[in-house]
Amino acid sequence: MEKRELRLTVNGQEYELYINPKTLLVEVIRDHIGLTGTKRGCETVSCGACTVIIDDIAVKSCSILAVQAEGRQVRTVEGLEANGKLAPLQKSFLDHGSYQCGFCTPGMLMMSEAFLKENPTPTREEIKEGIEGNICRCTGYNSIVRAVEAVAKGDYKGE
Amino acid sequence: MTINKYSVINTHVHNVDGIAKVTGRATYTFDVKLPGMLYGKILRSPHPHAKILNIDYSKALQLPGVIGVVTGKDTLGVKQGIWRRFQDLCDEQMLTVEKVRYIGEPVAAVAALTEEIAEQALDLIDVEYEVLPSVFEPLDAIKKEAPEIHEGFERNINVTRHIEWGDVEAAFEEADYIREDWFKCGGQAHMCMETRAAVSSYTPDGKLTVYHSTQAPYYMQTLLAGVLGLKEGNIRVISHYVGGGFGGKFELDGAIFCSAVLSMKLYRPVKIVFTREEEFIATKRRTPMSYYVRTGVKKDGTFCAREAKVFTNGGAYTGMGATALYLTGFFHSFPYRWTGYRYDGYRVYTNTLPSSAMRGFGAPQAMWCSEQQIEWIAADLGLDPIEMRRKNAHYPGYEVPGQASIASCGIDQCFDVIQKWVKDKGKLPGNRAIGISAAGFMSGGIFNWFDTPYSFSSAVVTINYDGTVELYVGAQDIGQGSNTTLAIICAETLGVKIGDIKVHSGDTEHCPADLGAWGSRQTLMAGNAVKMAAEDAKKQLLEIAYAQSGFNIVYDLDIKNRWVHAIDRPERGYDYAELVQKAIRGKEGQRIVGRGYYTPHRKGMISPAYSYMLQGVEVEIDKETGKIKLVDSLTAHDCGQPINRLGLMGQLEGAFSMAAGYGYLEYMPYEDGKLMNPNLVDYKVIRATEMPEVSVAEIDTYEPEGPYGAKEAGEGLTNPTAAAISNAIFHALGVQMKECPIRPEMIVNALKEKETKEREKK
Amino acid sequence: MSEPVKCPVCGKQAKTGSSIDCARHMFGTGDKKHRAWVEAQGLSFIDLLIEQATTPGNKSYVTLAEVIEKVQDKLPK
Repeated sequence: MEKRELRLTVNGQEYELYINPKTLLVEVIRDHIGLTGTKRGCETVSCGACTVIIDDIAVKSCSILAVQAEGRQVRTVEGLEANGKLAPLQKSFLDHGSYQCGFCTPGMLMMSEAFLKENPTPTREEIKEGIEGNICRCTGYNSIVRAVEAVAKGDYKGE
Repeated sequence: MTINKYSVINTHVHNVDGIAKVTGRATYTFDVKLPGMLYGKILRSPHPHAKILNIDYSKALQLPGVIGVVTGKDTLGVKQGIWRRFQDLCDEQMLTVEKVRYIGEPVAAVAALTEEIAEQALDLIDVEYEVLPSVFEPLDAIKKEAPEIHEGFERNINVTRHIEWGDVEAAFEEADYIREDWFKCGGQAHMCMETRAAVSSYTPDGKLTVYHSTQAPYYMQTLLAGVLGLKEGNIRVISHYVGGGFGGKFELDGAIFCSAVLSMKLYRPVKIVFTREEEFIATKRRTPMSYYVRTGVKKDGTFCAREAKVFTNGGAYTGMGATALYLTGFFHSFPYRWTGYRYDGYRVYTNTLPSSAMRGFGAPQAMWCSEQQIEWIAADLGLDPIEMRRKNAHYPGYEVPGQASIASCGIDQCFDVIQKWVKDKGKLPGNRAIGISAAGFMSGGIFNWFDTPYSFSSAVVTINYDGTVELYVGAQDIGQGSNTTLAIICAETLGVKIGDIKVHSGDTEHCPADLGAWGSRQTLMAGNAVKMAAEDAKKQLLEIAYAQSGFNIVYDLDIKNRWVHAIDRPERGYDYAELVQKAIRGKEGQRIVGRGYYTPHRKGMISPAYSYMLQGVEVEIDKETGKIKLVDSLTAHDCGQPINRLGLMGQLEGAFSMAAGYGYLEYMPYEDGKLMNPNLVDYKVIRATEMPEVSVAEIDTYEPEGPYGAKEAGEGLTNPTAAAISNAIFHALGVQMKECPIRPEMIVNALKEKETKEREKK
Repeated sequence: MSEPVKCPVCGKQAKTGSSIDCARHMFGTGDKKHRAWVEAQGLSFIDLLIEQATTPGNKSYVTLAEVIEKVQDKLPK
């Protein structure tokens, strides 16, 4: 298959790429651009480890072609911090111990970030539903829910 | 509620790897890229049992981008195993030479410029098989006519283990009531978020560097030396961040082995990462077991005798299966006193995925059977299930005859806590009930079947001029937080802050040997080594402080919160940083170096210390569909002195999620040796919406063998939940579930059977 | 109380020194030497093992224990 040019904006930075059009977004992010924070844990769009944000919506980046993200704003975990300052969710995850092996963490953070944008005052049940598509094998999820709750409550406002 | 006398221990401490993990900076083997690196893929057997007659990979070599192919013929053909003291049980070649014994077993590996090309090359390798008859269940495999899977293992009996104490027959005679039951325990997949991954790089100087997602870098280094014919010292294993292990990653796997063999042939780095499907079909699993249990008690509920006969489905190779076989038999008696106890365990080879170690290591299966039967006995005799357990429980100082000396034991307080919880819950709605299960676990094993000459754990503490501390450990952080736990112990012992400690782990080149993260050993064993090393370093500092202070000899000096002071006069002191500078100058400019190590001696047959717990789970069941909903839970937990507070909570909630999966979600159906659901759509892992509140009540005990009184936490917690859930179903619906994981149709069928029986009675 | 029983193959005194403990030791070791000795007494090691696993009671251990007791006099002191 003929390769084609692709202009992709990731974390506010535009990248010029030359790729096989069949390439998945997660592959372009990890292998072509070299941002390895986003992970992959399955081949069946089931685990959420590859979750990124595209125009404020959480997307499993293994489920779309990179070319489908052209012209949109893609955000990965590397884009959460600003000049070394952690985002509220990141601080909350640290405080609540919401990660253990950390492999699902980038996907969880991006899912939670998109979720809170859409639902800034969620109930605990709504948070659980929000991250239902992301598997964590280590934490049992409850500490992640607590971290998201704390951010929603405003515990990290103005930091 | 005891007041925390420690500055760092059991306080709210951030995980020391936190920044790397929440910012995406943590580099897992999954992420490693080396210059000139090739991508490897493994060709796997489609047959459960077959001779390999010929492998022709000439066509694969012609595909542009393919750099090389290896088969068993490229290896030394060493049959390896982790039980190195027992050569008979070292039976696995990793890249098999003569025959395949399970569907998915590696037969060849390709290295190519891209993963895609390597994948395509697999289709171009022709393997000629002579299919052999196969067998999939232990009771079929021990028949006279069953095919022999391993030469010399008659009737496919791989290994047996026997535990017995007391006069079991006489103890049964004393019993007023005897019950016998048959149980079936399923396997389970580790389902680590990071699949098996390895990058091997062999260079012309004869040195091999391997990045591996592993729980035990030292084991990998040593085992590789054995199978590759290299010196241990010429192998470096690096494992900085590991995406979960749960017992699956402390043996050699196809990724590390095949990438190493390819790299040694091609002199280029080779990366192999398993797909999720490969993870399901070609990495070892929890051991499926069938249990026969006969238990005799007095009518007042005093336990007299128990006899258990167990067959485990070992699958195609031994792996860690022999240990699981022993531990299940021991923990099947736990935590109770038996006048007579007998366990006969048999591990049988079959042509299925090898079964090995998984969090709990045979104990979840043991509790599934034991804790349910005990609940049914209590119901049969009309006794209170908590009081009946309490009356027979271990206590501090108890000797399990010939097996273990129990030092700390908080099980009695556990009964109080859960009893109150159940009482406070009051009457529950019709389709809801509470189930309980006791459990416990070892804090590292005393056995050295690996045959290491090194201390089981070692640590080195180095103090720099600016007061920062380098802590070198061989203990491996796989997410359970050992880096943080050990940093906490180091900081507390030295008297500094957690931020002063930098942990070095996951690199055999720079870290001391350690048996690694399995068997719940690291908090106790590596913790003791770290404490010793930190005490050694502190002693060297305080020697200088004594000389400086000119105190009367009766005064003791200490360092706490970076404050060097006389214990009796804490207000008189000075900053730790100042002391470090003086001490280094006083030692001719040498950094302060402290060493520590730990190996258990004369600690019984299993472990130096045991955790205890009683867990209650409130469950709601839909009678129509058989669907289970977890509503609430409380675990009364004795892990001695908690060290890493956030880590402990994480271990409790995480263990619960995995154990609940074993109870009612993670079914692995096989048909003719083939796994029917090797993906995350059909293999059900618990999701956030299914988790209940997982509360804990920590029981205050002190374990003399553990650092600051600590013992294990996190693996024991995987043991009770399946049984607790099933006991809840028993109380809600009156049905006895003998097989785990429980599927909804099993509940529906059991209810139907119950109705039919009740109608027949009338 | 009679003298502790010694394993006819490796000379080990198993646990309490009873013949049953010795039988359990022989089954537990299961190595070629021990199995060969059991077979030489006219018993089938595998069949005894399987019987132990599939029936309640201790028949297999008892059977082997009786044979072990009989040969104790013939063992070197």
